[in-house]
Amino acid sequence: MLFKQSESIWQAQQTKNITFIVTKDCQLACKYCYLVGKNSHERMSWPIAKASIDYILSHSYEFPEKSVIWDFIGGEPFLEIDLIDKICDYIKSELYRLNHPWFDSYRFSITTNGINYNNDKVQNFITKNLHHLSITITIDGTKKKHDLNRIWKGEGKEKGSYEDVVKNLPLWLSQFPDSSTKVTISSDDIPYICESVLHIYSLGVKSVNINVVFENAWKHGDDKRFEKQLLRLADEVIDRNYYKEYYCSFFAESLGKPLDLEKDNQNWCGAGKMMSIDAAGNFYPCTRFAAYSLREKKPIIIGNVNDGIDSNKLRPFLTLDRTTQSPQKCIDCEVASGCAWCQGENYDAADTDTIYQRSTAICKMHKARVRANNYYWNKLFRKLELEGRREEYNATHKKQTEKPC
Amino acid sequence: MLKYLIIPLADDSVSFCHYERGNKSDRLIDMETLKNAIFWAMTENLNVQFVYPDKEIPSAYKAIVETIDHAKIVGSHCEDKVLTDEADIVVFDGWNDLDTFKCQSGKSYVVRTDKADLFDNADVIKSLFPKLDRLVVVITDIDKFQESDFQKYEALLNAMIPIIKEEYGKGHSLHFNLLTDRMFLDKMNNCNAGDETITLAPDGKFYICPAFYLDGSKTVGDPVTGLDIKNRQLYRLDHAPICRKCDAWQCRRCVWLNRKTTLEVNTPGHEQCVVAHIERNASRRLLDEIRTLGEFLPEKEIKEIDYLDPFEIIKQ
Repeated sequence: MLFKQSESIWQAQQTKNITFIVTKDCQLACKYCYLVGKNSHERMSWPIAKASIDYILSHSYEFPEKSVIWDFIGGEPFLEIDLIDKICDYIKSELYRLNHPWFDSYRFSITTNGINYNNDKVQNFITKNLHHLSITITIDGTKKKHDLNRIWKGEGKEKGSYEDVVKNLPLWLSQFPDSSTKVTISSDDIPYICESVLHIYSLGVKSVNINVVFENAWKHGDDKRFEKQLLRLADEVIDRNYYKEYYCSFFAESLGKPLDLEKDNQNWCGAGKMMSIDAAGNFYPCTRFAAYSLREKKPIIIGNVNDGIDSNKLRPFLTLDRTTQSPQKCIDCEVASGCAWCQGENYDAADTDTIYQRSTAICKMHKARVRANNYYWNKLFRKLELEGRREEYNATHKKQTEKPC
Repeated sequence: MLKYLIIPLADDSVSFCHYERGNKSDRLIDMETLKNAIFWAMTENLNVQFVYPDKEIPSAYKAIVETIDHAKIVGSHCEDKVLTDEADIVVFDGWNDLDTFKCQSGKSYVVRTDKADLFDNADVIKSLFPKLDRLVVVITDIDKFQESDFQKYEALLNAMIPIIKEEYGKGHSLHFNLLTDRMFLDKMNNCNAGDETITLAPDGKFYICPAFYLDGSKTVGDPVTGLDIKNRQLYRLDHAPICRKCDAWQCRRCVWLNRKTTLEVNTPGHEQCVVAHIERNASRRLLDEIRTLGEFLPEKEIKEIDYLDPFEIIKQ
């Protein structure tokens, strides 16, 4: 299975991720969407966007990273393509004018539902920024799987969005041939995992980042069904030789090992090391801490465009480690590696207003994934050995590691 | 493990810490609640500290209070002068009344002060050292310290060192929390609210500390149903990533101030850390000075360090 070199190597750990929440509106109403406060009136204005950029570029000591990813998120970010275009133009001109260290070390990144991808304004923007741009179109798999969750907003009969997205994939892949897509799995999606991953491969997308939702939304027996799907997927990927060129984040050699209390004590999530900005000009440690992402808790605001960053509010995020937030069962877990968490979901689900209580809602799902993953690598390595290609594989495939948030 | 139960007897009981005294009501704790709390403290084997309002409490309350061994925390303006004389800890709001107050040896005196008043009253503090055995200064606006305040604070503590040294030279083992506590400690000695200490408020419910009651935080149980502190581990030192690596052992490590500044009870703000380290480093200098008089705490060592905020080390 292919290792995702380009994304993981590019200035890893030295890159600041700055997210503009340009709108809280979206054409879709995906059933698993964690954004509980979507609306059409909270759109970022140009003065707020400009003030944010001015603040960031004039406070270099607060942003010492060597590189930056300017991320645009929604709702659906391409609903605000005019604003995004203006922001990107301004960033480029200011980086040049200020002779800023990020001048030649920046990227723009957009995750979209893909519906407006072929729009003229979007295409002009892509043409203008192609060499500094990453775009991810979310497609969940087969039409059945995609349309199960990713439906159009509005009253009346549910209408899936598959056809509206898939028509734009050839154009997207021609512009970003190494692109990946992001798939989210909730309880109802489990029966379609295997066919969906294979379907995405058949569409020409060679890399599938896939994860189960972190929310406590799992039903009795989901882990068994999940494992069965992953075992099927493992057989398909290996038997049909997809492993040579295709990637699925469900399978990783590093997955399912015990973790050392000291050496492996780092936080999984990057909240606090990144920053999100909303339409009001508030700063957040990650988008998941903005009000529209939270079901139960108040937002955690770490500053704003007028007053700057309150560094005290960042301290809990920057000192957070794995063991301090984990219950004993996670610390003692023998298959702990690769078990992910989302700091925002941890906070939202916690018994108190803290980011220091790890949610274990995905525990059984992770263990199911580990069992299927073990099967995958045992089967693959045996096949390679029998074919006398194990060494060749080792030489050409880097050991896969989990990519933290 | 829980060791102490603090019982403010009224909503406007004196504040002995960073929080401001309640001013919305003078409601006394219900007598049945008080009895239940005392019973609970006995069954849990806790040390009780009663915190008094300035207005004299009725004699029926006094009788209930005396049914358990306890410590009394009383404000300097308390109407009940007998109580003030009997108090284990007398609390002053500011420096004004200290020069006329008749201090007793062996007793602890707490002065709550903001930074500006602290810096303006260095001479008052120095004048108190010969008269007191234990002076505890609580800076009520630590979270407002700026860089220039840190410098003033260091200068203030440095100015105290020769005076305290002089007292020790005279055989007066003065305890001044900002400078001498660290010299005597072998490990963290903090407030430990939520871990070793819990508060029963006048509404009959448990709170992490009086400040959590006064700011409207959620209760953590009551004497009938028992304590229910969610995420209790976060009040322990081993779940405080900055503090567990720190050796400013005298730091109050105020969980209420932590939550106020960083939104997490286990994470101190920058200002609290720097203030504690200025005290720690001044204690180191004081220890060296006292040792010029002769052998003093030979087994104690306060190492030289090159940071004022342990967060910097963790970040590295």
